[in-house]
Amino acid sequence: MPENDTFWKNKLMELEKRNSKPEGDKTAKWRKTTLQKWNSATGYEEKEYSNSSSIPIKDIYTDDILPENMDELLGLPGEYPFTRGVYPNMYRGKLWTMRMFSGFGSPEDTNRRLKYLISHGETGLSVAFDMPTLYAYDADNVRSQGEIGKCGVNVTSLKDMEVIFDGINLSEVTTSMTINAPAAILTAMYFAIAQKEGHDLRNIGGTVQADILKEYIAQKEWIYPPEGHIRIIRDMMSYCTKNAPKWNYISISGYHIREAGSSAVQELAFTLADGFYYVDMGIKEGLDVNEFAPRLSFFFNSSINFFEEIAKMRAARRIWATVLKEKFHATSQKAMTLRFHTQTSGYSLTWQQPLNNIIRTTIEAMAAILGGTQSLHTNSYDEAWALPSEEAVKVALRTQQILAEETGIIDTIDPLGGSYYIEYLTSKMEEEAYRYFEKIESLGGILEAVKKGYIQREIAATSYRRQKRLEDEKEIMVGVNKYVDPDEKPINILRIGKDAEEIQLKRIKEVKVGRDQDKVNDALAKLDEAFRNPDENVMPYIIEAVKTYATIEEISDVGRKIYGGWKEPVIV
Amino acid sequence: MSGGKYMADGKNQSLFREKPIKVLLAKPGIDGHDRGVLVLAKAFRDAGMEVLYVGLLPTPEDVVDTAINEDVDVIALSLLNGAHLTVFRKVMDIMKNKGIDDISVVGGGTIPDEDKPELEALGISGNYGPGTPLSTIIEHVRMRAEEARIKKLR
Amino acid sequence: MTNIGDLVEGVVRSDRRSIARAISYMEDGHTEIKKEIMEKLYSHCGKAHVVGITGPPGIGKSTLIGNISVLLAQKGMNVSVLAVDASSPYSGGSLLGNRIRMQENLFNYGIYMRSLANRGARGGLSVSCMGAVNVLDASGSEIILIETVGAGQADLDIMNLADTTILVLGPGLGDQIQAIKAGIMEIADLFVINKMDIDGSYFAMKDIEEVISMDDPRGFRRRVTGTSATDHAGYDELVNTILDHGRYISGEGIIGRKRFLMGARWILESEIGRIIIDPAMDIIKKKGTDKNPYVLAENIISQLNAGVLKEL
Repeated sequence: MPENDTFWKNKLMELEKRNSKPEGDKTAKWRKTTLQKWNSATGYEEKEYSNSSSIPIKDIYTDDILPENMDELLGLPGEYPFTRGVYPNMYRGKLWTMRMFSGFGSPEDTNRRLKYLISHGETGLSVAFDMPTLYAYDADNVRSQGEIGKCGVNVTSLKDMEVIFDGINLSEVTTSMTINAPAAILTAMYFAIAQKEGHDLRNIGGTVQADILKEYIAQKEWIYPPEGHIRIIRDMMSYCTKNAPKWNYISISGYHIREAGSSAVQELAFTLADGFYYVDMGIKEGLDVNEFAPRLSFFFNSSINFFEEIAKMRAARRIWATVLKEKFHATSQKAMTLRFHTQTSGYSLTWQQPLNNIIRTTIEAMAAILGGTQSLHTNSYDEAWALPSEEAVKVALRTQQILAEETGIIDTIDPLGGSYYIEYLTSKMEEEAYRYFEKIESLGGILEAVKKGYIQREIAATSYRRQKRLEDEKEIMVGVNKYVDPDEKPINILRIGKDAEEIQLKRIKEVKVGRDQDKVNDALAKLDEAFRNPDENVMPYIIEAVKTYATIEEISDVGRKIYGGWKEPVIV
Repeated sequence: MSGGKYMADGKNQSLFREKPIKVLLAKPGIDGHDRGVLVLAKAFRDAGMEVLYVGLLPTPEDVVDTAINEDVDVIALSLLNGAHLTVFRKVMDIMKNKGIDDISVVGGGTIPDEDKPELEALGISGNYGPGTPLSTIIEHVRMRAEEARIKKLR
Repeated sequence: MTNIGDLVEGVVRSDRRSIARAISYMEDGHTEIKKEIMEKLYSHCGKAHVVGITGPPGIGKSTLIGNISVLLAQKGMNVSVLAVDASSPYSGGSLLGNRIRMQENLFNYGIYMRSLANRGARGGLSVSCMGAVNVLDASGSEIILIETVGAGQADLDIMNLADTTILVLGPGLGDQIQAIKAGIMEIADLFVINKMDIDGSYFAMKDIEEVISMDDPRGFRRRVTGTSATDHAGYDELVNTILDHGRYISGEGIIGRKRFLMGARWILESEIGRIIIDPAMDIIKKKGTDKNPYVLAENIISQLNAGVLKEL
């Protein structure tokens, strides 16, 4: 973000001013009389309250401290700056998509789970991958031993993807794949299957995460140094814009930033800063911001501090719209709207008294809905332990269905809009996010800030602070540091046996014997050439390579030879 | 160094008369979940230990090599990817092959109760899950460091 | 491994576990054990060229060392690295973070590296470091790179055992020279301006060149090298300069000289403390505060003055 250097600073000053309105006489009088009398009569001692973002919480919020231009800051649903929601009729028109993360064990296991979820009314597929796949190691690499199928499904070659989507019509579903560093390869595999089955890529809808910046920040699943991945994202961006317009090639993710221990405001600020980077990249590529920005979607966490989460989501929409309009000069409404998927917090779940997790997840899901999410994954109560069991997944899905169909929570749009507390908090979160934007700018932009380890250290500091607060019982987790149940027994959990590993090892052996090795070598050589020419788009070459059943590791090795590996800066 | 609560210049060096525990924190698998180890690194330091964290994606061989060269008292292994049985065992096998028995090994991560006996049998103790108080972990590391120290003096 | 003979034998054989354990004794062992190990090792010492690298925190010393250690190893030299990290003044604990900045190179080239916490020590650290250097020297290391914390008296003490002292600085020298211990500019043999890709580095080079242009023209001419981790610039030149300085001090016959003197001084100080100061203090402690402490101490000195130092 080199140009208009003062943008962030000016915005920050504006927000600081907006949020520093003093309490009016009426409230001051109430404090001096009614409140003070009550407190001294009841012997109440002043205590400090604050949220995860260390924003101090007052005992009461009143209209006098709200910004003058409230109307302008709120707008109406479907209108700039989208604080109240991105669509005019929100959930009356269309409920959020209930998208449950699945994917574990062997491709066969995952295929069964996907079909099970479809039969229970799930409206979008979502696939998680295991660690070897996320780091682009083949199942038969020695480093993959013991890891296959453990955190998601293993994909080594196109053969595995064919099994996962066997019997599923790719034109009728949308699939979200939680994959980052090798996102281009998995996208290529998905496209290859679609083409083989005779679908037009223009009708193929889905999402890959592909948000590499947050990998360096939080999830730490990378293959190359940033330059290598950014090149590939650039190519995916332009390939999909032209050939697969329904494919969301990037999902800018705060979820993992939060799970890595950040506060809500850090999640907000770092995720949006990542988003601004991609917008800037698209513009520098010569793409029209009005054309590509609508394909950028977001992924947020919903954690346990109810109001803070709602305020975060509302602030996110307002910031995105404002910055896209004022800084990146977008003119279409669609380019200014921030659409997002939400997952309830895994970090807030406990292995102690696991049924309590159902309650936590319900509250977090409510926050996501009141925050205006476009799709939602609710965690299963056994997720603090391992991958969820079928029974636990069903409860999690039912949680969303109950919220949607029994509670009336969806009847009106943005029901908390206008609440003194929510509006103040939304504005305050916004201010704190701009404070980070300004700091990031001063460090030379988000990529530099990440390379220097600044962002990672900020998160680690917050995470440690929270852990200490838990130790000191300044924060409570029921069943962990209060109301502890001494006679707890472990619950039934889904265990991934050795089967997945055996199946995958057997399959990759067969694939390597069965494929035409000359074709593989040829495709990889062409990909290598494409990589070395910065003006070439590597996507078509990756698609050709997966079709020859070249493996995920073989394809990534082409880039590894050119870009090398990545060592992160020292965080602690 | 100057300033400092306990170590104003030349004063109270007795703090250092007893050797601080030296601990190596490592995630020897393909696993980027580092929230826990980063918290532990700081917690161990604040408990007066000397802490080495080797970063992400070291091989089991790298971990054992580092432990030997740095002559640590304790290796603290962490994995949240379900591969603990396989990967922790690799670390123990390498140690065994090199004849190292004076470094204690503790584990942690998402480790189900039913895996604990197997890990204990390998010599990996603790095996704490999410939500374990830092104080419990620190106490355990101290105890296992003590054992290692006694073995080193044989 | 409490048998010192076995331990020393292992070190000389270049056995990694013995080296590591011997250094632990140098860090933590009782003075008597340290002395015994150092005495036994000494006949195997004296070959290593010890290079101390200091400079303000955050200037990129670890990355620099990681890179030059590889170049030295590629020349077929036996290289080891000692890196000192700061201890927390509150808990006494330490995050030994230097290792992570250079370890990849270490694994690939089999370079021995050891992290030491400074433990807030004044002087104590330099003894541990001296001991560790002797262990590595005896184990066959030809070049030993020591990285210091980059601030304080202990740094200066460590530099006193190095044959070659390198001061690493960056663009914007003023504040950095303020931050590091005064006196380091004078004892540095070589200067490095790191981060040459950043604005202001050229002027930093010029500033240092001006300082060294006023050096006495006799003896080794001090030099300044510019380096950059981003494009690996300047490392070869720096390595050659280091080796040049090593050849110069070898030629003068003063390699290991500082360590020799430091070792003798350490024994003298610790023994004089034990033999003379401790019993003298016991006598003085029996006296009340009505007595003049300066006169009491002078009286003890005059009793000792009966003996006179002779040539050995």
